[in-house]
Amino acid sequence: MPAVSVSHLNKVFRIPHEKRDTLFAALTGLVRPPTYESLYALRDVNFTVEEGEMFGIIGQNGSGKSTLLKILAGIMRPTSGTVETSKTVTPFLELGVGFQVDFTAVENIRVYGIIMGLSEREIEGKIDEILEFGGLEKFRDTKLKNFSTGMYVRLAFSTAIQTRPEILLLDEVLAVGDMEFQKKCLSILDKFKREGVTIIFVSHDLTSVRNHCSRTLLLAKGEQVMMGETREVVDRYEKGV
Amino acid sequence: MPGDHIRELYKYRQLIWTIAWGDFKWRYKNSILGYFWSLLEPLIMFIILYIVFSNLMKVQVEYYQLFLLLGIIMWNFFVKATNLGLNAIVGKPSLIQRVYFPRDVLVISGVITAMLQSLFESLVFIIFMIYFAIPMTWTLIYLPYILTIYFILALGVALAISALNVYYRDIQFIWIVVLQAGFFITPILYPLSIFPPSLQAIFRLNPIAQIIVTARDVILYSVPPYWVSLAYAGIASLVIFAVGYSIFRRLEPRFAEAM
Repeated sequence: MPAVSVSHLNKVFRIPHEKRDTLFAALTGLVRPPTYESLYALRDVNFTVEEGEMFGIIGQNGSGKSTLLKILAGIMRPTSGTVETSKTVTPFLELGVGFQVDFTAVENIRVYGIIMGLSEREIEGKIDEILEFGGLEKFRDTKLKNFSTGMYVRLAFSTAIQTRPEILLLDEVLAVGDMEFQKKCLSILDKFKREGVTIIFVSHDLTSVRNHCSRTLLLAKGEQVMMGETREVVDRYEKGV
Repeated sequence: MPGDHIRELYKYRQLIWTIAWGDFKWRYKNSILGYFWSLLEPLIMFIILYIVFSNLMKVQVEYYQLFLLLGIIMWNFFVKATNLGLNAIVGKPSLIQRVYFPRDVLVISGVITAMLQSLFESLVFIIFMIYFAIPMTWTLIYLPYILTIYFILALGVALAISALNVYYRDIQFIWIVVLQAGFFITPILYPLSIFPPSLQAIFRLNPIAQIIVTARDVILYSVPPYWVSLAYAGIASLVIFAVGYSIFRRLEPRFAEAM
């Protein structure tokens, strides 16, 4: 049984010509109905990801990669089509999701862990490890608003990698940061791969995709251009769609 | 509420509690007067209203101080719960757009935070009760029921306006007016008996009026409430909850896109 199977997935965004976000505007809309532009963010996308596979998604900006990830994560609902997942999906779309600047480091670790589905005991057991990994032992009870950007990123990263994902969705935003940070990210990715985690990897970094993904999906303007062996798909993308 | 959803919420109970408790603590840690401030706010309001209304209007109510204080604390719960609900979704765009969890978790936490604040404020009321030597009697057994339906009512309203506020940002301004009107049409400052019976009947349609009146009866006056009042308040709260919840469920799927 595949870890993720997507069939006939469509996502249409209805973009109003004129933004109406007040009750008053909605009421006047009864007299003069609003007009919309339909934008196909995804059109008839079909693929499956096998258990333990690392699957790549590539395409230019605006090709629908991020929308696809958000649908897989359950953050957005598809307009039509189905998405089935066999296990818990852990989205990793941004560092420091849900971090609140008025909470201390430890409090943020707790909230993050719970959002990611860890139990209280698991989280308590990992707090020290997380702080140590980020080199932040001294800032345990410091509020996040007093953190430097670097400290923030270290905390976010070390917290994120402590969750035990089953199906991991990885967006390119992880690729921000310096060389050392990127290297760290990739080494964690290898560790997850060895542990048999199913990974869906969205990236502009074609070298990483080539090195890590067995199969890849190429999207262009919301449509599925090609899916198959990573080498062939990336070659095609590099030649130009 | 479908069973599946209740099971899912149960899985997230820890998240609900962590957010609610964290928010509660944060509110007090962040002000200079700390916990004291949260007691001061209703106290100041109480003192002003007491001076004005006990003299100016010559309201003849037994234990008017406690009558008023209980009304204020209970009304404040509704104000806080709905105001926290109003911002529960629109105040956390980064969470809504980046990670999945049942969205009503945020609204439920907000109402629980309001409840914690109100319980804390009740300490002042309890001190007053001891000072005035109000007898505690068996009628208090009605209290858990009254507070439960009040919680359900507030949660229903909070769910509805939290979702509507995502799409219609002027809801928050409309809500200020609604709360202001609510303060005066709910028997907080006065007993319903100042009105002629026909008008009283209209005021009693407001379930919060029923809840506050019955709470005063059982806490202050050791009077068992009319079963009709209890039943009406209970049914009205459940209906409001059902409507609020269905509005939330309808609007929820597009939260991430609409923000």
